[in-house]
Amino acid sequence: MSTANTSCHEAVMHGPISHKTPRTWPAEGYTRAPYWAYTDPDIYAQEQAKIFRGKTWNYVGLEAEVPEVGSFKTTYIGEQSVVLTRAEDGSLHVVVNRCAHRGNMLCRDAFGKVKKLYCVYHAWNYNLKGDLTHAAFSHGLRGEGGLPKDFQLSEHGLHKLRVATFCGLVFASFSDEVEPLEDWLGDVAQGIRRVLHKPLKVLGYDTQRIHANWKAYHENPRDSYHANILHTFYGTFGLSRQSQESGMTLDKSGRHVYFYTKAGTEKKSEDFDKTSAALRSVNDAMKLEDPSILKWRDEFGDGVSVQVLTTYPSFVLHQIANSLATRQLIPRGVGESDLVWTYFGFADDDDATTQTRLVQANLAGSAGMISVEDAAVCEMMQRAMADGQSGESFIEMGGKTLESGGNTKLSERAIRNFWHNYRLDMGIDLDTDLDLA
Amino acid sequence: MTPQHDTHFRAVENLIYEWARAIDEDRVEAIADLLVPEGRYTVKSRFNHDRDLPMAIIDSRSAAQLRDRIKSMRIANIYEPHHYRHIVSGVQIVGEENGVLQVRSNYLVVRTMTLDGDMKIFSTGQCQDEVVITAEGPKFKQRLFLYDSRIIETLLVIPI
Repeated sequence: MSTANTSCHEAVMHGPISHKTPRTWPAEGYTRAPYWAYTDPDIYAQEQAKIFRGKTWNYVGLEAEVPEVGSFKTTYIGEQSVVLTRAEDGSLHVVVNRCAHRGNMLCRDAFGKVKKLYCVYHAWNYNLKGDLTHAAFSHGLRGEGGLPKDFQLSEHGLHKLRVATFCGLVFASFSDEVEPLEDWLGDVAQGIRRVLHKPLKVLGYDTQRIHANWKAYHENPRDSYHANILHTFYGTFGLSRQSQESGMTLDKSGRHVYFYTKAGTEKKSEDFDKTSAALRSVNDAMKLEDPSILKWRDEFGDGVSVQVLTTYPSFVLHQIANSLATRQLIPRGVGESDLVWTYFGFADDDDATTQTRLVQANLAGSAGMISVEDAAVCEMMQRAMADGQSGESFIEMGGKTLESGGNTKLSERAIRNFWHNYRLDMGIDLDTDLDLA
Repeated sequence: MTPQHDTHFRAVENLIYEWARAIDEDRVEAIADLLVPEGRYTVKSRFNHDRDLPMAIIDSRSAAQLRDRIKSMRIANIYEPHHYRHIVSGVQIVGEENGVLQVRSNYLVVRTMTLDGDMKIFSTGQCQDEVVITAEGPKFKQRLFLYDSRIIETLLVIPI
């Protein structure tokens, strides 16, 4: 064995070497994202506390998913399993899916209907709001055993989260400090209101397991620059092209964004013709034999054919023609994420409308003809980042500031704003080494 | 097995193998010819199916729509190069109504990535098919793949 090999071996054996790796944010600030931010397990652990359990509202489901008293849904905020319930008085509750006694998981079904939450380990019972109502043998047997005399049921309920609803969406927060949901959404609320204007009906689910850091996916629907370039299907069939009327709206904080495109509003320009000729997304060979899949109805009456809305840190709402869905991003470790798509229509849809939505479900999701590329790109990015110890992304499309780029879709303004908020929440100052030891 | 089923069993089994082999040999276009023109090819999670939820990740409602999907895969979509190996078992004709054979089989698809050679069980589940006997032999009136896991690893771009 060579000397070099021996010393390397010893370093591993006698480590710790992990916090000797560089963790200085590039001096340019939010126009750069260092690749260690996507690969470092210490960063990932801090994100769980500072972002997912921090001052954020996280999407947990639709009111329509828990329609009746006792309905529940098991889902995640960050890596934490949580349960959404509807109590006897109709109110919605979100609790950590973990018994207050010894930490056992309470709900093991994705959905269901129950009278109470029950721990199988020692029969601790909770009501639908998460209050402890009974613990087995709490008074012992024949004067022996039992819980201490000063034990109070009221002090041992489940960990309850703040819950708020908006237009049928349910969000929850671990934070008592985050502003009310509607204030948090700001101007982006109008993009939700536009689509979710009446009661919903769930059509089904699709979950993609993406082998990439959650942020690689979160950036994707904020990135209006890529949509008409990467996704050949969009440009070829005219659902979304850069030459069409489009725009982007961010809330004041820059946490949330939505952008839209209006099909059939092409404005001819010489520079568009020149650029699009070179884009692989405009492919004249791609003619559909049966274009009925793209037949859509302007159901909101404003001509918008595609609207993609993202709220920080883990939620997307899309309207792609008449396909409607939410997407919930669930991190599963530093290099893996689940993306849960919930497809829905409206409760009063007739069968023809439902069928249109179902046929257009072919366009997005894990087998989506338009957007199957997104997950592939996230994974290719993650692989190319390798160990993350060198390199950074360059985010200056549309300019270098949080405002530059304005409302044009040819801009990475929403990504700059993401990294700005991310760094605030993580407590990452410019030019300062992170203290993660 | 009823005599009627016995008559067609080998041809139906062969039809299912033809589908799998066409995909595994990268002759994906050929599967559209195994579907009658008004046939339907659907890939749906058991999770949705068990809850009577109609949404399917792939729902080609004609052979033409399936050809469009394959064309999109060939010339529009971006993904890391990979290929499949289908393992098919348990082919049974379980019923017949008005000349339509109800067929069940199990499938397992192993996905191999071309660049790094990673192999993974990509999908497994049950096929619930409807087969009709045409002048050109048996063809699918419906191919329904019900996949067992609620998750799809990354993406499903090559039909299974």
